[in-house]
Amino acid sequence: MNKVMYLEFERCIGCRACQAACRECGDHDGLERNYVDYIDFSESRQTFPMICMQCKNPACAQVCPANAIQITPEGVVLSASEEKCIGCRNCTFACPFGIPKFDFEKNKMYKCDMCYDRSKHDIAPMCASVCPSDAIRFIDHDEMMQLRRQRVQMNMIEGKKPSQDDKWNYVPEFFGVYSD
Amino acid sequence: MSDFLTSPEVQNLIKPGEKLITTHCCYCGMQCGMHIRVDEKTGAVKGVEPRYDFPVNKGKLCPKGVTAYQTIEHPDRILTPLIKRNGKFEQATWEEALDVIEENFKRIQREHGKDAVSVFGGVSMTNEKCYLVGKYARVALGTRFIDYNGRFCMSSAAGGFLKTLGIDRGATLPWTEFEHVDTFFVAGSNIAECHPTTTQHIWKAKDKGAKIIVADPREIPMARVADVHLDLKPGTDAALAMGLLNFLVEHDYVDQAYVDERCDNYEELKASVRDWSLERTSEVTGVAIEKIEKAGHIYGKSPRSVMLFARGVEQQSKGVDNVSLYTSMALLRGMIGKFASGVATMTGQGNGQGGREHGQKADLLPGYRKLTDPKAVEYVSGVWGIDPSEMPKPGVSAFEMFDEIQAGTIRAMHLMCSNPAVSAPNLPYVWDSFNKLDFFVVSDFFMSESCEFADVVLPACSWAEDEGTTTNLEGRVIRIRKVREPLGESLPDWEIMKRIAERMGRGQYFPYETPLEIWEEFRIATKGGPADYSGITWDRIDNEYGVFWPCPSEDHPGTPTMFKERFGTANGKANLPVVTYRPAGEYANEEYPVTLTTGRVVFHYLTGNQTRRIDFLSTMSKLPFVEIHPELASSYGLQTGDKVELKTRRGSMIVEARLTKAIRKDTVFVPYHWGKELAINQLTNPCLDPMSRMPEFKVCAVKMKKLPANTPLHVNPLTVPLGSSVPFMADHAIATSCHIMDEEVPTK
Ligand code: SF4
Ligand code: SF4
Ligand code: SF4
Repeated sequence: MNKVMYLEFERCIGCRACQAACRECGDHDGLERNYVDYIDFSESRQTFPMICMQCKNPACAQVCPANAIQITPEGVVLSASEEKCIGCRNCTFACPFGIPKFDFEKNKMYKCDMCYDRSKHDIAPMCASVCPSDAIRFIDHDEMMQLRRQRVQMNMIEGKKPSQDDKWNYVPEFFGVYSD
Repeated sequence: MSDFLTSPEVQNLIKPGEKLITTHCCYCGMQCGMHIRVDEKTGAVKGVEPRYDFPVNKGKLCPKGVTAYQTIEHPDRILTPLIKRNGKFEQATWEEALDVIEENFKRIQREHGKDAVSVFGGVSMTNEKCYLVGKYARVALGTRFIDYNGRFCMSSAAGGFLKTLGIDRGATLPWTEFEHVDTFFVAGSNIAECHPTTTQHIWKAKDKGAKIIVADPREIPMARVADVHLDLKPGTDAALAMGLLNFLVEHDYVDQAYVDERCDNYEELKASVRDWSLERTSEVTGVAIEKIEKAGHIYGKSPRSVMLFARGVEQQSKGVDNVSLYTSMALLRGMIGKFASGVATMTGQGNGQGGREHGQKADLLPGYRKLTDPKAVEYVSGVWGIDPSEMPKPGVSAFEMFDEIQAGTIRAMHLMCSNPAVSAPNLPYVWDSFNKLDFFVVSDFFMSESCEFADVVLPACSWAEDEGTTTNLEGRVIRIRKVREPLGESLPDWEIMKRIAERMGRGQYFPYETPLEIWEEFRIATKGGPADYSGITWDRIDNEYGVFWPCPSEDHPGTPTMFKERFGTANGKANLPVVTYRPAGEYANEEYPVTLTTGRVVFHYLTGNQTRRIDFLSTMSKLPFVEIHPELASSYGLQTGDKVELKTRRGSMIVEARLTKAIRKDTVFVPYHWGKELAINQLTNPCLDPMSRMPEFKVCAVKMKKLPANTPLHVNPLTVPLGSSVPFMADHAIATSCHIMDEEVPTK
């Protein structure tokens, strides 16, 4: 799998189709693993989706005392394995993105696994499949790099330059998270 | 059932023991393609799988689409006919229900004439069914009173397009060209929430530098990223459009060659907008001059632009004017009939396009033929096998049917696929009218608020239990597939109409065994009309990802782009309109100081009778709310979560306040998906457009009052349990007239 999940927050229209679709993934037991929230509804309708970053050094897995969070050869960080999870909820506190959730009935952690049963066959995860505004995309690494460059090009064409106050609106060509 | 499953070149996840059935979403006019997962052994519905290859949505779905399959086997489904006895619904057999219907329809027609029985249809049904509703009313019941819920949805767009372009096809270009567009002018259309899967195409164009202009009283999600947001006062669209038309003329942005060759009436239009200076436009609309100028320059300079509008401009007492004027902007720029440019209305209901073309409208016959045209009557009578003299005359529009009930002309009604007890304006009047009916039959698959007024409820089946076609917002005719056998004793609407026709002694005109037989007759009925479907076959739809009408023969490729050479008018030229500006029927004054506008949220569809039952959707959006600007709220001492009473000249309701700066300071917004005490349409103004008879849902004057925190909010039960008496009867003073400021004008 040489594909990545590409998020463009400003495109998010807050429809929460990604959340509804997350429940529909065959292995997700009808529980959603992502979330969408308003930045500040009193100011604007801007929302953002949050999914697992599939970290290279996942904090969730590192803090797990039972070694229950497995990482697949493709680098997907899976939900805690049922046999191993002791229900301590360390992972839910460790993740900086608030992704691992806890099922109190089954006493078990569950999280976004990039719809592993789909993505391992290179089929897009449910959220990326349905997101009607392409705020979440499942694309080739090369396409992602191309898109990032295009952003910079568009800014140059439109004469936009980052300033100290809005530099975060400008995606640098290489952000450092992804590497080949 | 067809064996067409998935396209071979597209990879989908197919679970062991399951198969995928290729179909479309049941809700809005996008008609997004999707697969439904079905258990191979039991035939049970398991879920949804994206349909990546369908060009309109490319696998994308909104949350309604993702959860649509959950309606099919929902526990609230009506499974048997119900007959109301002593105010309580009791289960009955089809024979019993049909006996009661036959007896009452015949008695009422004997005593009061054929027109005393009326039909109220809807356009969330397939073309086959919508076509049959018209035939059922005119041939089986012989009544002239037939109209449908599209009157609250698409009628102004239809009126405006007919007036200017001569043919009412919702979009003049296919959605797949959107990515090549340079400028989108989006007026009164909350695309992100009402047609979410369109946004991907717009973003794609934006990535290449396309500009977006949004005209809306609210800062809708798309306005956030728009180049200009024209935050106009509700009900002032015509002023904005005239100001912009004048701007285009004054700044030499008119494509003179195109206008000379293809449009009539240019000089008159030019003269009629001359007074709309930027200052005057700004004063009437409340939009800053700089914004109007910026929008005018962007739209005027753009080599390929698309004008998109929806109910925001159409659901007004001047909806037709608004549509004609916005369409004229595209005409002056020479945009219609060319690649990646044009004009489109965002069709609200699934088959809002197809359903309005084929005779559900009071004055139309199949193929968009006019009932007042003797040739059309003769042709269609021939197809139906009746004598042209038997063809009933045109009736009245949907809302005016309630006046006819009040007047005693209409005494019975068969309501299908619609829920006017929530969707019509001035609901107290509508509820009273339903109570006045001598006999009322409703076909539905969930117990709607309208069903509760019925004497007989017939269990229709859902969209996934029948075959057929719909026409999406582009004008693309697509295929709906049967996913499972009808649940319980439910039947497809066409079969219900057929059985009633048999009871009325007209069974010989309804000999259908399958929807395909209706389709074949329907193709012939449309042949030669403006909306000609005669060259479209179900196989072609499968092979070509849908076929665009008009398509007059099987070797015709269909018409993705309309009006390439000529318009649909008699001389082939577009008519530029001359419009005298009229304010909304009702506007804010001292007593009612705030403007109320209504609309949708992304989680619900129309009256919510389906979506309110879906777990995910109702969790996301449980109750209506009122969106208020913090500045307006502070003058009432309101915070988010406070309870507010909203009151207009027609009714009042209690809702929670939601504060946001993403709305004008003089306007509040309430979504309309709930019934009874939670229905905002208790408050809305039934002031009708003189041509399209569209009520003014989008503008009325309201007053607000903060209520104590312990005021209880109403929560309506969705389903009336069998055997319990029907719980809700409106007890309201009833305003019977349409309200127009300064003068009371009766609705008729
Ligand atoms: S589906 Fe896409 S647009 Fe909708 S909430 Fe999720 S990320 Fe945002
Ligand atoms: S759950 Fe959180 S910490 Fe773990 S991989 Fe995902 S984003 Fe990283
Ligand atoms: S409701 Fe409309 S946009 Fe949403 S999935 Fe259905 S057809 Fe598509």
